[in-house]
Amino acid sequence: MNKFLITASAIALMAFAAPLAVAQDADTLVIGTDVDAGTLDPRLTRDTTASRTADLIYAGLVHITPTLEVVPDLAESWENPDPTTFIFKLRPDLTFSDGSPLTAEDVAFTYSTIIDPDFNAPQRALYTPIASVEAVDPQTVKFTLSAPYAPLLTYMDIGIVPKALVEGGHDLALQPIGAGPMKLVSWNRGSEIVLEANDTYWRGAPEIENVTVRIIGDNSARAQAFEAGDLDVIQSPLSPQDIERLANDDRFGNAIMAGLGVNYINFNTKDPLLTDPKMRQAFSMLIDQETIVNDIYKGVDQVAHSIILPSSWAYSDAISQPTFDLEGAVALFNELGWTDSNGDGFLDKDGQDLAVTLATHSEDPNRVQTIEYMQAIFEMAGVKATAQITDWPSFSTNYVQQGQHQIALLGWLNIVDPDRLMFAQLTTDGSTNWGGYSNPQVDALLQEARSTLDQPARAEAYQQAATILAEELPYFIVSAQGYQLFYAKDLPVEVQATPRGNFRGLIGFTD
Amino acid sequence: MFAYVVRRLLLLVPMAIGMVVVTFGLLLIIPGDPAAVLLGQDATPEAIANLRGALGLDDPWYVRLWDYFAGLLQGDMGRSIFLNQAVSQIIMGRLGATIELAVVALIIATLIGLTLGIVAAMRQGSLVDTLTMLFAQLGVSMPVYWLGLLLMLLFAVQLGWLPAIGRGPPMIDAIGAALTGRPGVLWDSLRHIALPALALAASSAAIISRLVRASMLEVLREDFVRTAYAKGLRRGRVVVRHALRNALLPVLSVIGLRFGALLGGAVITESIFAWPGLGQLTIAAISQRDLPLIQGLVLTFAIIFALVNLVVDLLYAAVDPRIRLR
Repeated sequence: MNKFLITASAIALMAFAAPLAVAQDADTLVIGTDVDAGTLDPRLTRDTTASRTADLIYAGLVHITPTLEVVPDLAESWENPDPTTFIFKLRPDLTFSDGSPLTAEDVAFTYSTIIDPDFNAPQRALYTPIASVEAVDPQTVKFTLSAPYAPLLTYMDIGIVPKALVEGGHDLALQPIGAGPMKLVSWNRGSEIVLEANDTYWRGAPEIENVTVRIIGDNSARAQAFEAGDLDVIQSPLSPQDIERLANDDRFGNAIMAGLGVNYINFNTKDPLLTDPKMRQAFSMLIDQETIVNDIYKGVDQVAHSIILPSSWAYSDAISQPTFDLEGAVALFNELGWTDSNGDGFLDKDGQDLAVTLATHSEDPNRVQTIEYMQAIFEMAGVKATAQITDWPSFSTNYVQQGQHQIALLGWLNIVDPDRLMFAQLTTDGSTNWGGYSNPQVDALLQEARSTLDQPARAEAYQQAATILAEELPYFIVSAQGYQLFYAKDLPVEVQATPRGNFRGLIGFTD
Repeated sequence: MFAYVVRRLLLLVPMAIGMVVVTFGLLLIIPGDPAAVLLGQDATPEAIANLRGALGLDDPWYVRLWDYFAGLLQGDMGRSIFLNQAVSQIIMGRLGATIELAVVALIIATLIGLTLGIVAAMRQGSLVDTLTMLFAQLGVSMPVYWLGLLLMLLFAVQLGWLPAIGRGPPMIDAIGAALTGRPGVLWDSLRHIALPALALAASSAAIISRLVRASMLEVLREDFVRTAYAKGLRRGRVVVRHALRNALLPVLSVIGLRFGALLGGAVITESIFAWPGLGQLTIAAISQRDLPLIQGLVLTFAIIFALVNLVVDLLYAAVDPRIRLR
């Protein structure tokens, strides 16, 4: 027994102590990510890892560049004979990575499944204006829309799937076959996705031969694994402390830019307390954006001024939501009849204290802190504020999405077009208009803005709508999310970051 | 003995049924709709309703429960809503990693716990004893999450000795490879498991060491130990042969229970070290309300735990011949 103990301890000690560097495969790019892909069928992706990996395995009609411009990918060109018709011309001799040809039939199949309600594609709402799609000839696809829909092109980067294979029962979710720059080698669920270059991609194989997408759920652990050299690239979401440290480390290159997401306050305009826009204004004046962004988010995000992101072509700095003004808010509450009549430190009206519930979800510690900080400021202003923190499924599906909230903090991502943050959210009876906001003038402007392909006219309409929204405040945009990417400096390619977080800029395609 | 084992195994059946029913009930109560989570924030209410129908979530609870049992009898644990794969397939693909981590952690915890406990008991009141018990106090009170990040910071980031994350080749294969003359594979495997296993083992090692110390102190005062010394036996022989064997009984049952705690701790350890086991999967499944997967995982954990307890009871009888299993 004694001997056994000693030997065993010695083995255990040896295992921990002696250093031995295992060199990482030199020609493999290892990307750290936060979640495993749920599926690698591009039509069904809903998490970031899935859509980013699918973007390597598949190619769409168009590609969205890091500056969010739409450029041809599988399509060679396209035209709009009228506002409700898009005709795409495919490149000649396209093939999937298994060697089978990619034709207009595959494109038509991809889009008709996405808009089929029974297919349950998560992004279906973005494509519903497509009334029909047909293959005119093997190289030409025609989309007919039910109404003019300007943002459509920015969603046409979705990967094209092989019709014959899918109809033959092939499971793309687990065994993806696409026409993109890479193809799947192996997928160890929850651990890593291994990809290799696809020589048949129409632009030729990428410079990087092998890519491994490694999943590490914890943000800090992912940052440490990167510092230890186990990963070549990491990107948002990262915790603010780690970003500060990595940005000051000259072993690593970085790209820190404005992202495509917002953190915002959703006011329930159907709640009796919040129906009056003036009440929403007063509450908005209690949101101390500067402190939230600089101290809680450590300056990683930017203070937002309106519902149009600074990165957008529609941005105008002339539009401004109310800014932090505690006395101003109290004065406005007084004007609306809320005063501290009984001297208990809380505002009241008709014998009722002014009380609201501030809600967010527990997964994001920065949002939890923000709500707690807001609660403190609300109390200073004489508002009885209750913080309610629950996990995401309870918070989103059973609370905010049912319109049961009063004031909720959450976010929207992937805002590649202003339409994406406004149309479904803020038009009357819009599918994600959980706060029940309704203003016919805003409805008309948002409808007009998506109906024309003329960008200056669109920008004008969005700015008008944003001006009204900055006053009526169904949404108060707290901050525009930042996007960060860190990479090892010895990578063999030039790194091109995109705020969408896609991977093509990491394997040698810089546009 | 054989009849005993069979009876214990048969008892697993009602236990499993109970577990399924309880989990099912809990999942009915907690808010959150997998269809809505699956489709994301952009989804329209119609799309969510449509998907609920397709997933069978609109059926009454007794129909769903019945369907689940009917499936189980045929070895079918259902299909994961989020991973698009059979639950049994997903679990089997990851079970090995979790068991490997828990077993290695248990071995480390037992080795450290026994060694420290014995040393502390033999030198009661000395500096060694104080330091050991200080370590035990630290080990018990340090959250595995925090310890894991600290270990990673020291051994992977600062010193660069060990990989920060991930799993090497499966240990079983690695041992096989080492026996056939390729020790490098086993080395790789050990280097990967070192940090997560150590982080996971710490609190168990601490608890075991305290228990061993207390138990040893008691036994060392017994008459038969004094007799052994009086016979002129060497100290080491008395401690290991006479005292330890008797002190081990309460320790053994605790080690068995710790295995359950290690499975629980693995949930956190795995997500920090990107260890591809069931723990990581459990967190994801719960946060997405992936009902069939949660059911399958709870059932798997329950069965493992029950089996481990059975093994502990059998070991009990082996160590102490006075115990008869009936």
